[in-house]
Amino acid sequence: MPALSRDPLRLPLELDLFEGPLDLLLTLVLREEVDLAELPLAEVVGATLEGGEPWDPPPAGELILLLAAVAELKARRLVGEDDEELVPDPEAEEVRERLAQRLIAYAPFRRAAAWLAEQDGVDGAVRYRRVPLEAAAPPAVRDDPAELAATMSRLLREPPAPSLAHLNRMRVNVGELVVRLRGLLSRSGTASYERMTEGAGALEQGMTLLACLELARRGEATLHQPVPFGDIAVRAAGSKAPPS
Amino acid sequence: MSELPRQIEALLFISPEPLPVARLSELTGEDAEPVRRALVELAERHGPGAALEIAEVAGGFALRVRADLGEVCDRLRARPPEDRLSPAALETLAVVAYMEPISRPEIGRMRGVSADATVAGLLERGLLEEAGRPGEGGAMRYRTTRAFQERFGLRGPEDLPQLDRFELTGPEADAVRRRLAEAGHMGDADG
Repeated sequence: MPALSRDPLRLPLELDLFEGPLDLLLTLVLREEVDLAELPLAEVVGATLEGGEPWDPPPAGELILLLAAVAELKARRLVGEDDEELVPDPEAEEVRERLAQRLIAYAPFRRAAAWLAEQDGVDGAVRYRRVPLEAAAPPAVRDDPAELAATMSRLLREPPAPSLAHLNRMRVNVGELVVRLRGLLSRSGTASYERMTEGAGALEQGMTLLACLELARRGEATLHQPVPFGDIAVRAAGSKAPPS
Repeated sequence: MSELPRQIEALLFISPEPLPVARLSELTGEDAEPVRRALVELAERHGPGAALEIAEVAGGFALRVRADLGEVCDRLRARPPEDRLSPAALETLAVVAYMEPISRPEIGRMRGVSADATVAGLLERGLLEEAGRPGEGGAMRYRTTRAFQERFGLRGPEDLPQLDRFELTGPEADAVRRRLAEAGHMGDADG
């Protein structure tokens, strides 16, 4: 389970470390020192909406239900503070139990993912010889109708899809880069394009630029490039430019 | 070295996929037991000091480069393989591995976020594959692949630890309920 390196009560949550609201909720719920009433719900919603993934109606509905449940828990806490007369609402208790069950059902997969990550560290670096074998030559056909039919049948069968396992494709996702850049800006307020793309190939450089432009288009960041072809300073919207 | 281990070594070297004992038997014309003994002999020959190792993985045996030499091998390539799997990808793999065959909406429901892009990436990497539709109009379901087993060093699906090993313990599950109750400031916060 990802650990928060700093106290989330005092510092902004590093939401880009989490894989969705269940992950975040479970982590916070199991961290005794975090007061759930302090959960920045708006940030959870924002991070989920801007996560670069299109929304599927069923998980979106579930998510709305979950977040509504958390909002209700928080609201009841605020309203019910110091009110000993407050009668537990059976409906709210049902929602709470459903949320608890979702988190409990989700937890094993989060831990299984961590186990896979451990195995990946061991076996992920081994290398296999991936060269596909040539197809075997068809046997010579003699004057036997059955053999001829069998050979024709083999020819008519759809060949297996060619293996691409030996090819390394580069996968860069603008959505992921936007999320990463947003996290960087939320932590430090500014980012250097050159530093972000240090050691990266042309494709990653281009995609990172697209991510910067996307944040600027959304009004979340401003871009400053004092010198043509020089470094681009990406600043979170509203942050002040350092004195030149 | 006798002939059978040499033959098996050659077959493992040339094969693009792990070979089960039955297939090795068929190719060498030997019974399963001598094949197994030859595999043990080969594994001893390819000890920790050797560059290659015999691994039982993904339902068969493979001759592969040891993990510590992966980096030097990658220098041969124009572009190093993209090894890193994001936490989202690992979590999606975990859900599929334990629930397969499973559809994208079901994965999304388990994880609380849409899994479309993650599943597409895992399909492209060959770690997931389509497993058919349950019926007319049903959503495509997915399962893990042999490459998944190879990557994570699994001899087969049975090598995955039982899921209940990862479940929250009773006190942990109680803590979840208690914390949510405390957050709502309702009723029996102790239970």
